[in-house]
Amino acid sequence: MGDLEATRLAGKVALITGASHGLGRALAIAFAREGAALALCARRAPALDEVASAVARLGADVLAVQADMRSARDLARLVAVTLDRFHRVDILVNNASELGPTPLPYLADYPPAAFDDVLQVNVTAPFRLTQALIGGMLLRNHGVVINVTSDAAITGYPGWGAYAVSKAALEGLTRTWIAELAGTGVRMYAVDPGDMDTDMHRAAMPDADPCELARPDDVARAFIQLVASPEPAPVGQRVEAAAFGR
Amino acid sequence: MVASPIRPLPSLPAELRANLPAELRGLRRDGVRLMVIDRTAQSIRHARLAELGSFLRAGDLLVVNRSRTIPAAVAARRSNGEIVQLRLCVRHAEEWHVLCVNPDPPHANVALRVGERLSVAGTDTVVRGRRADLPLLWRIDALSEGIERMLRSGEPIRYSYVPEPVPLSHYETVYANEPGSAETPSAGRSLSWELLLDLRRQGIDLSDILLHTGLSSLQDDAVDAEHPLFEEWFAVPPNAAQAVNRVPRVIAVGTTVVRALETAAGHDGHARAMEGWTRLRLGPGSPLRVVDGLLTGFHEPQASHFDLLRAFLAEPLLDRAYREAIAERYLWHEFGDLCLIL
Ligand SMILES: NC(=O)c1ccc[n+]([C@@H]2O[C@H](COP(=O)([O-])OP(=O)(O)OC[C@H]3O[C@@H](n4cnc5c(N)ncnc54)[C@H](OP(=O)(O)O)[C@@H]3O)[C@@H](O)[C@H]2O)c1
Repeated sequence: MGDLEATRLAGKVALITGASHGLGRALAIAFAREGAALALCARRAPALDEVASAVARLGADVLAVQADMRSARDLARLVAVTLDRFHRVDILVNNASELGPTPLPYLADYPPAAFDDVLQVNVTAPFRLTQALIGGMLLRNHGVVINVTSDAAITGYPGWGAYAVSKAALEGLTRTWIAELAGTGVRMYAVDPGDMDTDMHRAAMPDADPCELARPDDVARAFIQLVASPEPAPVGQRVEAAAFGR
Repeated sequence: MVASPIRPLPSLPAELRANLPAELRGLRRDGVRLMVIDRTAQSIRHARLAELGSFLRAGDLLVVNRSRTIPAAVAARRSNGEIVQLRLCVRHAEEWHVLCVNPDPPHANVALRVGERLSVAGTDTVVRGRRADLPLLWRIDALSEGIERMLRSGEPIRYSYVPEPVPLSHYETVYANEPGSAETPSAGRSLSWELLLDLRRQGIDLSDILLHTGLSSLQDDAVDAEHPLFEEWFAVPPNAAQAVNRVPRVIAVGTTVVRALETAAGHDGHARAMEGWTRLRLGPGSPLRVVDGLLTGFHEPQASHFDLLRAFLAEPLLDRAYREAIAERYLWHEFGDLCLIL
């Protein structure tokens, strides 16, 4: 966390979804250290408020919004209160994600309503949030959207059903959108953070050895690299955080 | 300075009120029709909004209003248990000016008592008084959470010609940014990014101002007929002022943009960056110092919108355009067709 490199995001406003635990929490702290103003959301207020206080102690201007990605009204409210407070969003990180029922069932056994839920949180919500915020970015001809994906999108692990489907869809969304943004100053990426030691990973693979997993704080540094780099990574591809300057 | 209408204007046939946005009528958002009025040639042509680029030239600047529509109609409970609907019109820091109407159509005005408590989605507020200039607007204590409350339970303000509960997102423009408009800045509602990015590639640039719109109707025909004027918050940012002063032709997308830019215009014909409350009233004979053209919707002659059109169009041409719009069956109101005045 070299002080020389700090505040590379001074003056920027970032909205991070699912910011109360895991990677989202680490991103909030890393973005705050770099000087960004932050809008953070999650469903459970206590953990969210704890992160908001932590980033406020780092000097960040922060807004915590309790919101459920499955609710269109919550998404509209999240966008509106964020813009009411900060007047713009420069960086959107679609990080909140739903794994689905655990232990992970086969698709043949999957509860249909849970399938819908996973798609709503992991695909529909990023679409809606991006759509609601990208207009302002296009007016300013400047902005970054990061969709957090997973290697489950490109492999076919048994049991990763709805989650894998949703991340593949999220990558499809990203690719199409990147093509439509060609020639503008708005960038979009699908970033795969790799295996990390988080609640989600513990729920999916309780037997994994935490020592073999990346720490969210380290992965967050790669995200900073991506958004703050004066030479943006080539767009149009999924980006693996592990391959990107930690 | 202009002749009054030679003949009274025909009234608007009910079936020409657009009751759904184009994208819910089987069209694309930008699939609405476009009437093009050329003031120099005194001509009226008929086209589609998607063809907008063919009526503009490289170097033109489109200026849009980036204000986001809020769900400004919110239920409130009076101390006697009665449920009323508040419609947020003007939002000052300390107090809001709201219309109070019956929650059911036709939404007649409801009189409140000064000092009475109202519960708005679980938060209490107090009626401070009414506006001296517009007594239908009640002054209530601003809710401490700001517009959070409205966003939790409010609905977009829908008029009777829109019978279905069209979701809020259809009341927003594709470039909506900061929230604050009680009603959609509707001229730009039909613009799509596909069209705007195409225009950019054609050399037609895009800039934006902010103006939070108030209510277009106070639900009282007599009051509405007098075109009540209230203050609207606006901002013309430095880059918009610079862009406006640099280009040969400025096309305002909507009358709200005209109001903001002309408020910020000096006598030298230059716009300056500024923000604040505007009370500018534009009408026949008003000078247009920076705006050269207007993209706008079709609204009834009773609306104050028509006054502003008179700043652009002399009465005979306005009269002709109105009659032709009806004869050609253009659709009216916020989900209707558009008109480009050059
Ligand atoms: N961990 C890994 O190994 C791994 C690997 C590849 C990709 N990823 C991806 O990385 C991202 C972060 O994962 P993580 O491991 O940090 O997850 P996590 O520890 O489970 O945290 C998820 C966060 O999202 C919030 N959230 C979940 N559902 C939500 C909803 N419906 N509405 C609002 N907020 C919601 C949670 O708070 P509430 O529960 O209070 O809402 C929490 O703050 C996800 O996109 C995930 O798919 C993770």
